Amino acid sequence: MRIRRYDHDYSRRHFLKSVAAGVVGGGVLMPVWDAIAQTGSAAKAYPDELLSIDAYTRGRIKTGDEISAANVDQVKDLLEPIKYVQIKTLGRRLKIAPTTSDVMKLSPWEYLEATLRNAGQARFDERGNIVTLQGKPWIGGTPFPNATSALELYAGLTLNWGRHDACLYAMKEYDLNIEGDVQFNYESGWAELSPVARVSMDPKPYLPGRENKLRYQSVFFTTPDSIKGTSFLNIWDYDQNNFPELYGYVAAFKRIRQFPTDQRFEPLIPGSTLYLSDAWCAGDPLYTWGNYKVIGRGPVLAAVSGGWAGGEHPNWEHKTHGGPKGHTFWDTTVEFVPEAVIIEAEPVKFPRAPVSKKRVWIDARTQLPIAMVSYDRRGEPYRSFDGAYGLYESKGKTFNDGQHPYWSWGHVHAFDIQSGRMTRLEQVREIAGHPTRVNDAGIYDRYLTNAALMRMGSG
Amino acid sequence: MKRYQQGRWLQAGLAGAVLLLSCNVAQAQKEGDGSFFDGLLGGIDVSVGGFVRVENAFQTGGENPNNQNGNTFNGVTVARMPGVPVPGSQALSFAVPNPLLADTTTRTGIDTSNNWSNYHILRGEVETGIRFTSDLSLIGRVRAIYDPGYDDFNAHSVDDDRGGIDGGDKALYRSSSPNYFEYRPEGKSHANPLEWAGQNYLVYFPSLFFDYNHGPLNLRVGNQQIAWGQAIFFRVFDVANGIDLRRHSVLDYAQEEYADKRVPQLSIRAGYQLTDEVLADAYVAKFQPTIYGNPNTQYNVIPVQFTVHDRYGDYDDKFSYGLRMKANYGQWGFQGMAVRRWNPDGVFRWTRSGVDKNVPSSNPLGLVVNTLNGGNSGAQLANTPFEASPGGVYSAEEWFSYAAAVRLDGVAGLNAAVNDFAPATTNVLASPVDTFAQAHNELDTFFIAAGGSLRGHIERKYFEENVFGLGVSYVTEAEPGSVFDQIIFNLETSYTPDRTFTSPDLGQNFLTQDASVTALVMEKYQRFSQSFPATYFVLQAMHRNADDLFGRSLKGYGGTRTSSPDGISSADYVVFAAQQPFPNDIYRAAIAVLYDPRGSILVQPGVKWKPRGSITIEAFYSYIEGGFAGNANKTLLSTVDFADEVTIRAAYQF
Repeated sequence: MRIRRYDHDYSRRHFLKSVAAGVVGGGVLMPVWDAIAQTGSAAKAYPDELLSIDAYTRGRIKTGDEISAANVDQVKDLLEPIKYVQIKTLGRRLKIAPTTSDVMKLSPWEYLEATLRNAGQARFDERGNIVTLQGKPWIGGTPFPNATSALELYAGLTLNWGRHDACLYAMKEYDLNIEGDVQFNYESGWAELSPVARVSMDPKPYLPGRENKLRYQSVFFTTPDSIKGTSFLNIWDYDQNNFPELYGYVAAFKRIRQFPTDQRFEPLIPGSTLYLSDAWCAGDPLYTWGNYKVIGRGPVLAAVSGGWAGGEHPNWEHKTHGGPKGHTFWDTTVEFVPEAVIIEAEPVKFPRAPVSKKRVWIDARTQLPIAMVSYDRRGEPYRSFDGAYGLYESKGKTFNDGQHPYWSWGHVHAFDIQSGRMTRLEQVREIAGHPTRVNDAGIYDRYLTNAALMRMGSG
Repeated sequence: MKRYQQGRWLQAGLAGAVLLLSCNVAQAQKEGDGSFFDGLLGGIDVSVGGFVRVENAFQTGGENPNNQNGNTFNGVTVARMPGVPVPGSQALSFAVPNPLLADTTTRTGIDTSNNWSNYHILRGEVETGIRFTSDLSLIGRVRAIYDPGYDDFNAHSVDDDRGGIDGGDKALYRSSSPNYFEYRPEGKSHANPLEWAGQNYLVYFPSLFFDYNHGPLNLRVGNQQIAWGQAIFFRVFDVANGIDLRRHSVLDYAQEEYADKRVPQLSIRAGYQLTDEVLADAYVAKFQPTIYGNPNTQYNVIPVQFTVHDRYGDYDDKFSYGLRMKANYGQWGFQGMAVRRWNPDGVFRWTRSGVDKNVPSSNPLGLVVNTLNGGNSGAQLANTPFEASPGGVYSAEEWFSYAAAVRLDGVAGLNAAVNDFAPATTNVLASPVDTFAQAHNELDTFFIAAGGSLRGHIERKYFEENVFGLGVSYVTEAEPGSVFDQIIFNLETSYTPDRTFTSPDLGQNFLTQDASVTALVMEKYQRFSQSFPATYFVLQAMHRNADDLFGRSLKGYGGTRTSSPDGISSADYVVFAAQQPFPNDIYRAAIAVLYDPRGSILVQPGVKWKPRGSITIEAFYSYIEGGFAGNANKTLLSTVDFADEVTIRAAYQF
């Protein structure tokens, strides 16, 4: 049993003071990654009141409870504003799970090992890109575990999205209107591959000859028929001042087209409220956004575990609830996260973007994005993006990414609060012959070249 | 469970047992577990999708003048003035008119239709993917179309006129209604592999190929289409496949860029990603020609006074092949191609009719011709490009009018027919002439002698050629969000040495000319408001030195009803198109304009609406002004000037 050394408002005062002072690093009692390095847990970095929802609310809300319109006001300060509205007015519900203390369950194992191994090795070069102390591209893991600025936090976020060296996410998408009807169903695949900062796949840490690239990423659609074969390929420069090259296979034309590189706030397909810019809350190169600043800190309720439905469905499909027809929201499990950092940024290189700024909630322990709210040009809340993560082990079933259970996202909400349209995404086992794959070298040839775009177009 | 329509038109197409089986299996699995739409068939992954679509083009223009029931001379009384033949003297022959035998004519027994619809079909498509291993799959797409028909020409309606029409394929020229879909070259049945067609239905596989992917290699073997290059209306690099001009011809939604128009070919296509930047793409394909609309079908472009003998059967064992290299280096892109192909468009020339039918002796001119040939002028006519039957050309006026419209030379065409088919032609007193007036008199002489009209016979042949192409693209960088930022330039050019063209005189010696085609394409996405996605603009310009957008020699341009063509030196076209998606892309408005500076324009505004994922409704209006600056036969779009229409398409996809 821990001895309570700090009163209940200690952490609140600490967060207010650290925001005012511009302090970024996670941890109240000590730097969170020091705690993790010592114990494998972040608990030592936080006072008791930040270790469970029960303690934080003094028992008013308990682990296992469900947050609904009836009790959401008691945890309003733990939710980003649009999620609060969804619960209060649209019937969304959240189930509360125990707080995960073992940090190794909150990101891929090899990535976390690299974070610990490479701590202190990162710096910005003269172009503002993350390099090692020797000036080489980054070598893996979170580059600034004890970040000292909003930019350092966000740079890490942009550097490595899925925290695996290569992934193909088989996905299902559901687009709903304000009446709660599912108007559009899509099946798609999202491929990511890191040629640098590799921690699992040989060669490590770089793919020889591709050290000047940060990421290869594509998204392609397999159903419905009208959109089948449509695909987009982004090739990211390591230099975060440059826009990615963007190619698309347009099924209607049966050929590859080059797209403008700033085409990142457009619907890729009819009905969707998801943009390329939304990916991992950091879908654009670091310096196409700017004025990064910390605007808040504190505990939150976030879906950092329990996002996998493989224990209940052979294709890992999730259940829904809420909204006018009961289909608007994924069933979501959240847990009490002791500390999130809220970062605000502006789209400085997108003068015609429909958003004026975005706020992103980042788990201070893992530096994972928990949620994002963007604001329109008038400053009104516009869209939200919140996902659920988890280890892919549940109810006796496991999906490994090698030696360890796969860690990834499970489902995502992208919600336009102004139009009431919702896009739901989920990662599934397989769509039309494309199973979810992790750290598979074949992902590059199969999904991340111009030849791959043509092939997925199927003719 | 969803059920597929079991009409006769669908039966044939869905006879592909693999497809049917896979459809049913996939559907059953979908119903069975209520979850995800793929399954296992003995370890094989199967997926299926498709749509049914009703398409209707409401006529706001006129009937197609290339068809019997749209002929601009229907119901028009035309004076005919014969001349006096002077065998052996080109300068004098038919120079002297013969008013004693002059008459007037109309196109006997042929009425003009008044259809409300240019085009109405029911289309169904199903695509199935069968994955055998992670590297090997079979992809098949079957397309089925049913067209109930229109108020069209009945060839039997002219049976009482000299026994009706004789030459050519019976199904195309002598049936009670047009054959909307069958491609029927002479002596060759089933010309398109994996296609089954009848008068009112078409079922075929635009795609049916094995797809093998291993590392950077991608190999496709089977029936497929290959789309190279990128441009609306224009095809510079897009040379691998011919175009299927049945159905809606070139008047489908322009922004679809011929997506379902390319004639599939049995091909082997290999793609290899050499480096991150460089892609090699090569193919070998069994040659399949461009398919023109059949006689009297809605968008037929060959006047039905001609009987066409398509000789594709002599070429169906030919192969085309080509290589394209494509490289992308950031803002810059490059591509080059070299293709050895059989030009799918083919070329036309006069051919012997083979129709042994006398001209009637009931008129003095016919009597003379028969008498000179021992009472059997038919044997001579069979060795000329003509037959004395109804539904042909009835007057010199009609001859010259239509020759000019299809970019032929009426005088030279007459001379070629006479010279190239002598002595059969001279045996019936035809002779080459020097002047337009002589030709006019000679033509009227023979139309009168024939008892009303003559039908002309032409053959379609194919030639091999080399096509070389180069392309470069560049994406501008300027102040982010500014008008000059992110403009995508594409410059594509192709060069074909000694391309063979139809000669404007339809002579036996085809025209050959070095042909070049160059297109500049500029694309731009620009946001004008925060609530609407970016507007897409494209501006294109094309320059051609030898032929027009439809592949016709420019030397045949410029003729009129009263003069021979003098040709034009080059053809230039401008295209402007824009698309505006509405928020969430539920609606998408678009416009496409094709402009020929010589005096014609096509304007096609449209809108697409997707109220649900399974339903798509599209409407677009095609407005064509075929000649607003002088001679319409000097500009491209007079050829399709009749086809103003509003098209509505409603699709349900599954």
